[in-house]
Amino acid sequence: MIAMTVEPETLPPENEAPEPPRKRGEADLSLLEDRAPDWSKVTRSTAGLAVCLSIVFALASFLPLWHTDVWGHLSYGRWIAQNGRLPETEPLLPLCEGVRFIDTVWLSQVAGYFIEKSLGVTALQFLFAASITFCAALLCITTSRRSGSNLAGAIAVGTFLYVDYQQLIIARPQLAGMVCFAVVFAILTSPRWRTWYWVAIPATFALWANLHGSFPIGLILLACFVVGRMFDLFRRTGSLRSWWSDATLRRLFLSLQISAAIVLLNPYGLQLYLETVRVSANPNLRDLVDWDPLTLRMSQGKAAAAALMALAVVFRFSPRRVTAAEALTLTVFGLGACFSSRIIVWWAPVVAYSIAMHGEAALRRWRQMDTRPAAARSGLSTVAMLGVMWIAFAYSPFGMRVIHGAPKTPEEATNRLLRSVSMQTPVAAVKYLNEHPPVGQCFNTYEWGDYLLWAGPKDAKWFVASHAHLVPREVWEDYLRISSLSRDWDSRLDRYGVNTIVLERYTSPDLVRGLKEKSDVWSLEYEDRTTSIFVRKKPV
Amino acid sequence: MPASSSTRVAFLAVQVVVVGAFAATWVTKAKALSREFRGLKQNGSEYTRLPVTRNEPLEISSLYNRPDLISDEELADVLRQIQPRFPVKEMKPNHVEHALRTWGVHATFRDPEVRSGAQLEKFLTDTASFLDSWGPSVSPLLQERSTGVTVRWGSEKGGSVHHDHWLTSLTEAGATLDTPVFGPARHSSTLGDVLHESLRDFRLDEKETEWTAMAFGMWLPPESHWIGSDGRRYSFDLLARRLMRGQKEIGVCSGTHRVFSLMVLIRLDDEFPAVLSDSVRDEAWTYLEQVRDAIVASQFEDGHWPSNWPDGADAVTNPVDDPLFKKVIATGHHLEWLSIAPKELHPPEEQIRKAFRWVIDTTKSQTQQEILDRYTFFSHVGAAAARWRGTHPAVFWKEWEEKHP
Repeated sequence: MIAMTVEPETLPPENEAPEPPRKRGEADLSLLEDRAPDWSKVTRSTAGLAVCLSIVFALASFLPLWHTDVWGHLSYGRWIAQNGRLPETEPLLPLCEGVRFIDTVWLSQVAGYFIEKSLGVTALQFLFAASITFCAALLCITTSRRSGSNLAGAIAVGTFLYVDYQQLIIARPQLAGMVCFAVVFAILTSPRWRTWYWVAIPATFALWANLHGSFPIGLILLACFVVGRMFDLFRRTGSLRSWWSDATLRRLFLSLQISAAIVLLNPYGLQLYLETVRVSANPNLRDLVDWDPLTLRMSQGKAAAAALMALAVVFRFSPRRVTAAEALTLTVFGLGACFSSRIIVWWAPVVAYSIAMHGEAALRRWRQMDTRPAAARSGLSTVAMLGVMWIAFAYSPFGMRVIHGAPKTPEEATNRLLRSVSMQTPVAAVKYLNEHPPVGQCFNTYEWGDYLLWAGPKDAKWFVASHAHLVPREVWEDYLRISSLSRDWDSRLDRYGVNTIVLERYTSPDLVRGLKEKSDVWSLEYEDRTTSIFVRKKPV
Repeated sequence: MPASSSTRVAFLAVQVVVVGAFAATWVTKAKALSREFRGLKQNGSEYTRLPVTRNEPLEISSLYNRPDLISDEELADVLRQIQPRFPVKEMKPNHVEHALRTWGVHATFRDPEVRSGAQLEKFLTDTASFLDSWGPSVSPLLQERSTGVTVRWGSEKGGSVHHDHWLTSLTEAGATLDTPVFGPARHSSTLGDVLHESLRDFRLDEKETEWTAMAFGMWLPPESHWIGSDGRRYSFDLLARRLMRGQKEIGVCSGTHRVFSLMVLIRLDDEFPAVLSDSVRDEAWTYLEQVRDAIVASQFEDGHWPSNWPDGADAVTNPVDDPLFKKVIATGHHLEWLSIAPKELHPPEEQIRKAFRWVIDTTKSQTQQEILDRYTFFSHVGAAAARWRGTHPAVFWKEWEEKHP
């Protein structure tokens, strides 16, 4: 049952203590009237939630940009912007020439590139933090409104961030997909269908299909709600005719169909669907931890297990009915995460919502609260909330840039960049490479390929980057063999005509050692805390 | 509440719009989509069977006839040495392939101990003939897949040693695309099926592409692109760049096959200008100029080239201890690619003359058994010698036998 709201008491209790006497000239605060319009007033708990979300934003905006795929996406965005078209084949890595490229994230890449170009890297940090905060806020609002309790919202946000934090700490276009997922999920879980949903759902999918290749997740979510509704109706009525007469089911079904069709509004049409299947089946991805099945050895696996246990407990004690759609969504995305840990990113908001809704209901039953007095709203809470939100923005890296302007000197720009990127980002090594451009084929640590493409010498021929599905299988296998110093590693480097090797020291210690031992062939030209750069003594 | 008639109309309208949207996008991208669907259906293979318009392969003709470099008698002596006198039992496919590419499918010999071109061809294309030689304990040379016929290659017993060498040898030997090929199940396949299987399973970064480049080059032009089973768009540009990649001595036969294949692609581009793009042709030409400069500097006084010929003058001042066969490999193979190369890519004529002197004397001095042990390398000497005389070994030998019964 949803909590009833009642008007707050307006008369002070009779036993209230008298006001202390004021000094001469001191203002009588009790005479101050809260003149904020009613619509702008919020409760203390709402303000508290907003403060929590502001803290989430502030923390997220200080997270450094990861040294992996975000730079690759910016590089593709730069290519598209410079060429005024989408690439048909992989355009940046010579060893991938001719490999078909269906760019499922082209819009994110182009937008990211223009944002970075005009506002700097801190704008990317802002976008990243804003996306996470938006998802959390939307989940919080959805849960709070549905349950009538801000506590449920807080539980939902907490659970979501706890289960998903490992996936969320890396800025990548997937976050755009996450935002779209949050919007669709919020609509699907709203208690009442509104006319503007007919526009909002297709518009979200049209955007999603161009921002990130995860749009089928949204269609699966919709399908779960359709099938769940069908199941519930059949269970309730025992008749299939109820499917046609149920307006909710019709709306959901039509939304699913329209969304599936609106997705075709992308540069590739139906190929985009096939590409999502092809990418997930690419054998190279099996070699990446990101795509491994979720296990308890992973910290996100432990978080998922904890969430699952919490879910079992709240289901046991919750008076709320578990809908078939809810069960189906939890099962489908949960099983998906068992196959690939990346699916946890979609399971997290679903499980967070269920835990929050059922947890709050169980708690209410335990406290025997059928109704809850409505909390007082005040303009002061609103002001405090807005103040904290402004502070969170103003002290974020992007806020500082907005307030204080762009870096004035190259040194200041470098320092700001260093503060905005992860410690493993090879900023100094790239500076060295730009001063000493490599000639011929280069070999590089996979995780750095993207940053090297973005910031490294313009014509450098890098070996691999994080778009592993675009790397031909043979090249990928050779990369793994060389990196692990397996048999023939040096002759493979010869075969590719590699002249320069850029390695992250801590992820490639064996190869660094092997190259140092082969000092007759390779010379260590540069080394710092994270990077080793070797150059062939007799270049090919 | 039951659905109203307007709801029904709206519902139907949405169905029409959705189906129409999918149909429209299918129509606009039908070709690409059908390929991708086929890929999903055929275990990921997106290979589109390329139309091959010719039944006879293209031929890279010799550009010279230089009796001053090699006389008729010397050519006859060399060819006599490399006649395919293979034992019936356990004929090595690698030897047969080399003999066939040198002598051609139409070669005939008076000596019954020498295998004719037809016999060599049958050994390679008919599993029954292969089994006659190797028996049932060895895996057949030809292997049938659901998609076509392929050739067992690698270091295993009775296998073709190099990828696509079987195909290239038959192609160079003048076998036609409709040549019957019989795998273990005796399904009626053709050389064309093997070609398509090779196109299907080609990967640019596999270990060797020297022969693949030649085979595709002699069958596919004027087509210069094709889609492999991995969906990748392959081209002769990519193949040429792959051949030029890495250090020059890397590759089969001290890197000389890469040079020959590149020269073949440039010659094909002369005939079919779209085979290579201008920039890649320029790169390949520059590469061959570098090879020319290296062999100018690396020739030894006696006329042979060493296996480390890419080292240039260093190869002479710091010689490696090459066994004889490695010298034969380098010298024979260089003479062979030079026979199809324009003069701008030649070293000074005196160097070619010296190389011929050394390699002819060396070949003539070998016993039959020594030749048989190193048949593959000496066969290139014979092929080079015939090309420099503007003739084909089989044609020359037939005339020679008629003139010298």
